[in-house]
Amino acid sequence: MKPLLDFLKGKWLGHPLHPILAHVPMAMWPGALIFDLLSQCPIGDNAMVRLSFYAIIFGLAAALLAAPTGLVDWSGIKKEKPAWKIGLYHMSLNLIVTLLFAVNLALRWQTFREASEVDRIPLLLSAVGTLILICSAYLGGRIVYEYGISVARMSKKKWRKLAAAGGANLPPEKEKPC
Amino acid sequence: MLKDLLEGKPLRHPIHPMLVHFPIGFLILSFLLDLVSLAFPGAPNLVRCSFYAMLLGVVTALLAAVPGFVDYSDIRRDHPGKAIATRHMTLNLMVVAIYGINLWLRSSALTESKINLGPLFFSFIGIGLLSASGYLGGRLVYDEGIAVGRHKHKTPTPQDTLHLSTGYAAKDGETTFVSVPNAEHLRNGETLRVEIDKQVMTIARIENELYAFQEFCTHRFGPLSEGSFHGLNVQCPWHNSCFDVRTGKVTNGPAKVDLKTFKVETRDGQVGVLITKEHDQKT
Repeated sequence: MKPLLDFLKGKWLGHPLHPILAHVPMAMWPGALIFDLLSQCPIGDNAMVRLSFYAIIFGLAAALLAAPTGLVDWSGIKKEKPAWKIGLYHMSLNLIVTLLFAVNLALRWQTFREASEVDRIPLLLSAVGTLILICSAYLGGRIVYEYGISVARMSKKKWRKLAAAGGANLPPEKEKPC
Repeated sequence: MLKDLLEGKPLRHPIHPMLVHFPIGFLILSFLLDLVSLAFPGAPNLVRCSFYAMLLGVVTALLAAVPGFVDYSDIRRDHPGKAIATRHMTLNLMVVAIYGINLWLRSSALTESKINLGPLFFSFIGIGLLSASGYLGGRLVYDEGIAVGRHKHKTPTPQDTLHLSTGYAAKDGETTFVSVPNAEHLRNGETLRVEIDKQVMTIARIENELYAFQEFCTHRFGPLSEGSFHGLNVQCPWHNSCFDVRTGKVTNGPAKVDLKTFKVETRDGQVGVLITKEHDQKT
């Protein structure tokens, strides 16, 4: 079990995996909204309709991969920390967004090959999904930039050396995993 | 003011890492659509779709570059992450150039049913460099802590470390007075990062008084010269540990060990810190 958890945390890469994978849906789904809107203008037949469809699929695939990595990162946060609660909101919003884009994709499945513009309901779903996604992604960013989750986790030995060389008081060598 | 805006301080979140999702996502999408066009040449419009995805990728890359340059300029010159940031920036400029050429090559062949090998090759190289660059960007945040908690620090980040020595200073029994001329000009909330014979410390003016304490947080060793002040407490930008600047005592976790502190004095009209033998021995 532990090797799997370490894999999902990105230890083998020296970089947490969740923020890497999260780039894809974070770009694809707002992108789908942009393409939906552009499809209302006459640009390249149904290229925009197709592009939007492909973007949603690619985003969904990456989101499904990103979910377990995020869950593992979240489970490593202590429950009494503020980041835990924010992580819970982040996760709940992400589940909603993923569901919305899954429905969105299903609605397009029959029509994307021929349609020259995206229908109202999928367009609306893209807009709502994107809005919730932006909120969720902001919370995800706050977990890193406000609370420092995953920051200096893999580089703490290097920093310890620098701090020791800089004459700092240091914590005892064996730190509890955090 | 504009700098604070581009650093995302009003949003309490850096802007560059928000925007980079888009070029990374769209350029990868473009490459995937190229590959799909090779696998299924019958599917219409794939080459055109790939071109539009790339176009959006390049436009958003240019947008992301602006706060990126600002973030880069804000990293202290002797920060261990500075070299990584330079590589990250260089790679990104190369990626933009490659995709600029790539777009130009494709613009005249949008109606093809599968992608030509020339532009595909450019995309392949581009994706390789982009992945390397993105990885380095991530390392800047997760290993080096760049931009983490930066919005909490209200004053400019120290741009350099001030190197001083006890060598020339007057020794007074157990203690050595090292004058720090720049400390006098600090305004409230401003900090200096000072290294005296390998002892790295932060000197800060808080509520009109000068205080000196070790630079590295005792939790994960975050930079306290980039921390924020709450009353007479300094808060680490990374994981929000708080310490009393007078005594170095932990006032809020996750840190458990107190900071080393240094006496700040004025002698003969000069501001300086007292380095004791005890400090020397520990280093």
